[in-house]
Amino acid sequence: MDEKNSLPEPSIFERMRNRLTPEGIPSDDRGRMRMVMDSLILHIHPAKVEVSSMKWTYTWGLGGLAALLMIILGLTGIVLLNNYTPAVPQAYLDILEINSNVWFGELIRNLHHWSANLLIVVSVLHLIRVFVTGAYRPPRELNWLIGVAMLLLVLGANFTGYLLPWDQLAYWAITVGTSILSYVPLIGQWLTRLVLGGPEVGANTLLNFYSMHISFIPLIIFGLMSYHFWRVRKDGGLTVPKSSKQTEDPKPERVTTIPHLVHREFIFALAWTAALLTFAMLVPAPLEGIANPAMSPNPAKAPWYFMGLQELLLHFHPLVGAIVIPSLVIIGIFTLPFFDLNPKSVGVYFRSRRGRSLTLLAVGIALIATPSWVLLDEYVLNWTLWLPTWNTLFSNGLIPLAVILLPLLLLDSWIQNSFKADTEERVLFIASFLFTAFIILTVIGIFFRGPGMSLYFPWNMPIVTH
Amino acid sequence: MKPKSYLIESLIGLGALLVVVSALGYYILNEPARILNAQRDVIAAQLDDAMTLYAENCSVCHGLNGEGIGATPPLDSAVLRTMPYDEIYKTISRGRYQTAMPAWAIEDGGPLSDYQINELVTLILYGDWTETGNRTINLGFAPLIPFTTEPDPVLLAEIANLPDGSTLQTAVQLFAAHCVACHGADGLGTAIAPALNDPAVRQKTAEDISRIITYGNTGTLMAGWNNVLATDEINALTSLIERWDEIPLGTIPAPNVPIPVTEESLALGGQLFAANCARCHGPEGQGTPRAPSLNVKSFLTQTSDQAIQQIITLGVPGTAMPSWGDRMSDAEIQAIVGFIRQWEPTAPEVAVLTRPGGGGPPWLRNDTTNVNPLPSTNRPVQPTEQITSLLDWRILILIGAVLSLAFALIAAGTFSLR
Repeated sequence: MDEKNSLPEPSIFERMRNRLTPEGIPSDDRGRMRMVMDSLILHIHPAKVEVSSMKWTYTWGLGGLAALLMIILGLTGIVLLNNYTPAVPQAYLDILEINSNVWFGELIRNLHHWSANLLIVVSVLHLIRVFVTGAYRPPRELNWLIGVAMLLLVLGANFTGYLLPWDQLAYWAITVGTSILSYVPLIGQWLTRLVLGGPEVGANTLLNFYSMHISFIPLIIFGLMSYHFWRVRKDGGLTVPKSSKQTEDPKPERVTTIPHLVHREFIFALAWTAALLTFAMLVPAPLEGIANPAMSPNPAKAPWYFMGLQELLLHFHPLVGAIVIPSLVIIGIFTLPFFDLNPKSVGVYFRSRRGRSLTLLAVGIALIATPSWVLLDEYVLNWTLWLPTWNTLFSNGLIPLAVILLPLLLLDSWIQNSFKADTEERVLFIASFLFTAFIILTVIGIFFRGPGMSLYFPWNMPIVTH
Repeated sequence: MKPKSYLIESLIGLGALLVVVSALGYYILNEPARILNAQRDVIAAQLDDAMTLYAENCSVCHGLNGEGIGATPPLDSAVLRTMPYDEIYKTISRGRYQTAMPAWAIEDGGPLSDYQINELVTLILYGDWTETGNRTINLGFAPLIPFTTEPDPVLLAEIANLPDGSTLQTAVQLFAAHCVACHGADGLGTAIAPALNDPAVRQKTAEDISRIITYGNTGTLMAGWNNVLATDEINALTSLIERWDEIPLGTIPAPNVPIPVTEESLALGGQLFAANCARCHGPEGQGTPRAPSLNVKSFLTQTSDQAIQQIITLGVPGTAMPSWGDRMSDAEIQAIVGFIRQWEPTAPEVAVLTRPGGGGPPWLRNDTTNVNPLPSTNRPVQPTEQITSLLDWRILILIGAVLSLAFALIAAGTFSLR
């Protein structure tokens, strides 16, 4: 009898394991390390990372948090899908059902809702972090473009998701939000009909938004996100933080990604999951009465992240407020890395000490200038009355635009003359100014606009009932 | 190189894990209770909507508190609460043949969506009818409550002198009991039903009129009355409609039905009175040189709620009393009427003096009289709390915080740039 044949047959489990790890699980650290290197984690991260780029106060973990939120949104979204019908009025009844008759239904909906809102905040903060540390400079321009595109898609995902509960809040926020589309020159009407699937927000809109929300937008975001991660590695990993005086370290200290980086990432994700979970348990996502096209709330407001835009619309001709200014801003954000080329200050917050001072200056000026301008335009300036014969596109659009651009140009030449600001400092100054102004407009739109979109103090807001 | 210690990170991770586990554990234990509460909230929200729907659509026939009026059945019955859900739903959405109940669903030509009908079924099954009645009052749908009235005895006696007078007398009494509800005093019509005391109606044949009374008028609120009225009664009503021009006006008067009030409507009425009426009628309704006293027995006992409502709505031509009908809703005017009416028990028999009497020389007076100051605030119709002074502490804090932050940033920036 052959001795080999007397060996017992390997069990099916052993065969499976042998197939998966042909050489067996190594016993030493180095061997295990190498094995895991082939696995998913090291497809994302390099084997070693610079210790300094792991500094919390440099990245604040914003990109990772955005990715975590995407995962939470994907998982909770899939669960919600099973309980939802994109039809009128079934959609609203399904939300009631999720809240009142599905185990963990409300928790999952709250998680989805709050994660989605947090994602917008985190994405914007991530963009600011990359901007103020100059991390978008060559060779990372392409990744900046992808990132900005993803931010727009995240806004789109949130906006399309906003309609799905089909309550009053959703219906009117989307009605207000999509009304901006009709101001697109030439194709506005056509575009509105395409997006809404009809003349107004209705059952077809719900279906359109639903399909966008669950298939098209997530698919593109998933593709871009994968590319974004890959691009980070391809472009040489994260930028390395430097203080403004420090020069390039010739021999940076490196540690292995596993466990040093992965360990921190998991703890970070766990802590945020715990925080989100607790928040979602305590604070329910808003839900108003069923959508009623015959009864518009006063004021009818867009989703909160578009309130800056809606505030602009109160001050400008729609073509300028809703199309020209936002397009210029988006083009500006996309092309930022092509203005701002100095590679020396990459990794330094605000470029330099001077840059930081200029940023403080810009934020301070914007804090005073923006509310003053809003009050002035609300109560004093009345271009259409002063220029009655002019086309409102000029009297209420281009002239006010010129009037606010002029002080901006003056500020720009002031910092050039008085502080000898160079190009990168000017870009920083103007971007900080505009960004602060936009935040203030958003805050005014959310908290200070009451019935009839008039200005009120938040603690004195009249409530209009029907 | 010394291996890095991850003690703090590990502790954070452990803490987070504990939070996740304990929070989820608590949530699971609490979930059945949460679901029950959520269902209660859904019902409460639906009832809230449904009460408004009821006030707007149903109170006309089913009454202020769902008590039913005339031939319209009550809804506040325990029996109805045992009725199958689908049966109630079907009745509301598709209507009931040969009754006044029309179809309310949009697909049957009605105004209500499935969801709204669903809410009304919830109201019938779980609702609180007293609260529903209050909602109806607060929304100003109370006057549509049908009523019956007593014919004027003197004029009724006169009718006997007309040819076939006894038939007309019967008809007038029937009309006052059954029809005045919708077709109004003297058959002049209301918001929900057309005038019958009308030459155009008199053009119709007796056959048409009696058919409509007998079988109802499909597509309107007109019920078929053959279950309630005998054939000769229907014939009497038909002849009344045909010969109404012979009946003197005032035979079937509007009743003196007090307008119902709630705490909210009284509060609203007081607010509106202070904002709009007090300027001329005085803050206590005691009157001013500009307008007469309202807070006086003679006015309040002799003027019905309907009359006060009409005065406010239409104004008094030739006096300073403007018409408020286009500035206020019915609910608001009724709230004011309710507010004025509550003075009646304490109203003085002689109106309070509003200016020195007689205009004679001051030395003629043997006392000193406090003259009521005439308030001259010019407030808007709907009083809203408005901050007129920027000295409110919250505004000062807001402006102070923004300005000091801004100047601190500017100072810090400029200082380090120098």
